[in-house]
Amino acid sequence: MLDYLYDETFEGLLTCVYHHYYTDRAAGIYPRDDYQPTMLNGFMEVETDQDKADRVYNAIGNKISNYALRLIYRAFLSGIQGKENVILNYILLGFRTGPSVGSLHAVKEVKELEDIARKVGIEQERMLQFVRFEVMETGEPGSPQILYAEVEPDHDVLELAAHHFAERFSHDPLIIHDTGRAKAVVAYEHNWYVTDFDGRHMPDGSELVISEDERNYQDLWRTYFDHIAIKERINPRCQRNHMPVRYWKHLTEVNLP
Amino acid sequence: MQKLQILADSAKYDVSCSSSGSSRAANGRMGNGHMAGICHSWSADGRCVSLLKVLFTNKCVYNCEYCVNRRTNDFPRASFEPDELARLTVEFYRRNYIEGLFLSSAVEVSPDYTAERILKCLELLRYEYGFAGYIHAKIIPGVSPEILHRIGLVADRLSVNIEMPSSKSLAAFAPQKNPKKIFAPMRQITNTLIETNSLKGPGTMFKGQNLNDSANYLGPSGLSGGGTGTTLPAVRGSAGRGLSGRKRGSFAAAGQTTQMIIGAGGESDASILATSENLYRTFKMKRVYYSAYIPVVDSPILPDKSTAPPLKREHRIYQADWLLRFYGFTVKELFRSGGENLDPDLDPKVTWALRNLDQFPIEVNRASYEQLMRIPGIGHTSAMRIIRQRRFAAVRFDDLKKMGVVIKRAKYFVLCCGRYYGDRSFAPETIRNSLLQMESGLQLSMFDDNWKRIEEGERREKLSAAGVI
Repeated sequence: MLDYLYDETFEGLLTCVYHHYYTDRAAGIYPRDDYQPTMLNGFMEVETDQDKADRVYNAIGNKISNYALRLIYRAFLSGIQGKENVILNYILLGFRTGPSVGSLHAVKEVKELEDIARKVGIEQERMLQFVRFEVMETGEPGSPQILYAEVEPDHDVLELAAHHFAERFSHDPLIIHDTGRAKAVVAYEHNWYVTDFDGRHMPDGSELVISEDERNYQDLWRTYFDHIAIKERINPRCQRNHMPVRYWKHLTEVNLP
Repeated sequence: MQKLQILADSAKYDVSCSSSGSSRAANGRMGNGHMAGICHSWSADGRCVSLLKVLFTNKCVYNCEYCVNRRTNDFPRASFEPDELARLTVEFYRRNYIEGLFLSSAVEVSPDYTAERILKCLELLRYEYGFAGYIHAKIIPGVSPEILHRIGLVADRLSVNIEMPSSKSLAAFAPQKNPKKIFAPMRQITNTLIETNSLKGPGTMFKGQNLNDSANYLGPSGLSGGGTGTTLPAVRGSAGRGLSGRKRGSFAAAGQTTQMIIGAGGESDASILATSENLYRTFKMKRVYYSAYIPVVDSPILPDKSTAPPLKREHRIYQADWLLRFYGFTVKELFRSGGENLDPDLDPKVTWALRNLDQFPIEVNRASYEQLMRIPGIGHTSAMRIIRQRRFAAVRFDDLKKMGVVIKRAKYFVLCCGRYYGDRSFAPETIRNSLLQMESGLQLSMFDDNWKRIEEGERREKLSAAGVI
């Protein structure tokens, strides 16, 4: 029994699963950077291996289901501690039971994974709801306007939300910046990619400045937001239930200019 | 900015801001439709903000008693210019503030005059700005069929307000509107949806039936099976211009809805829901929305200004409405042997179950989907999960919770592998009491009872706020 340490990539995690079957049974899988060695188990740093990861990946798709694969990947994107072991347990059970593992909603291993995947799904939806773009310019005359948004999701859901925005605003270049993880989705004309990103500097070094009309439209939006509420029905608890306060930091309508 | 304040203030009593039911690929220059709908924000009253909900104008020639925009109400007035509103919508949309536009209007000059300006705005938005997001347009009764048809071609959803649950209150509170004028556009919308083969109907009420059949065609009397009324060519020249991929002739893809006010007239819950059921069965509407009456204007024939809006009643009616559309209930069943109103303390499904205790408890391992759906605490998702899991293994009581069943309600009404898990006695009163005890904690959290009498001065200030600031 070994604790496997991985580099926090999906391939790394799958490589650990490979080693569970071909090297030694895993006591647990942990991120390499903040691992506390215990007296109980030895540990091994697993080197990510694309071939081994591919074999596990394909095996999950073939022997369990593509649905399971999607669920596992979603769970992997979560920021929850201990997600690796939940994923490991699910995969082990999945290889034992086959495709039907997807309908065993009451089994502990399945429920734990589904719960994590659901949380990620919820946050993905929250991204679609709560991303607020500011229209920016690079300052050069004639350059296109850029939609820029800052977010701080609990789970790493940028890539799950990217397709939606790339499709919806295909005619505007856009950047969604995850400030906590220092990365961003960059999208234009139906294409998108995820990249490291540290601030408002474009790859070519130019700086983003807020466009002329932006403040104006933000004020209009705030005005609208304040006036659409019916005073007789004020219900802050209901509001917060739907729109948790941790998202408010980046919401135009609830912040003062 | 003042304009937006005034017209948002005037529009906020309109319910419905759903943006679901129509999915559109990004074929314009901007935007697409998301099938499930997206709420972008929640205002302080806890209602979601999905669409930019404004009136095109609040200058009204009508004088409906309940309405904040009635002619005799001294209140700041404003109108949008078509281009101004189109531009505002687009700019809000690209900042991801909204899913689309909900455009309603007071009646300025005449229904046709107002509708034409609305149409101009919407066509600008669709064809000039290439906006492919969601548009919900309110149809004013009395508008000509040609204009209605063209609005339908650019909108995702159309709605005609029925305003009041009975023609009696309509005559009393909105003398310039009459049922005939309201039903005419509703009928036209349903008929056009049948012609374009896109009538979907409410919830799962007509599951498995083909609604787009000439038998459902509504004759002039409002009943099904009549002759073909006056119809319009399905495709017009202007449709499709600018939006190359937009399906030509696609008409109100997200269907038709309506709304009515609760608690202004003296109707009982039973008659309100009977009206809704009628609307669902006749016009196959997607939804009926209800809004608790909020006294915004002085009127001798309406509830006093200090009356709290009947929020709980609205809530129960919505729950019952859901039972009609998704759970296979009929109004007759809900009110059989038991008064004209819903029980304010318990949800309508529980009330129904308590009145029909002879049908319970139901064994979850053997019940059909329809039976499962009638158990309090079980909905579509959990019913499907039960059915899926019991193919592999019997569903045990402990499994139910993990499958999303609301145990504290369901346990009184189910058997699991032949065993009953509720309290000792299986009697309506015992169950009712234990449910009430449990709910008393829950209900409070849904409705903060913070309605307080708003002083006259404060109310004035609120009404004129839009103009002052």
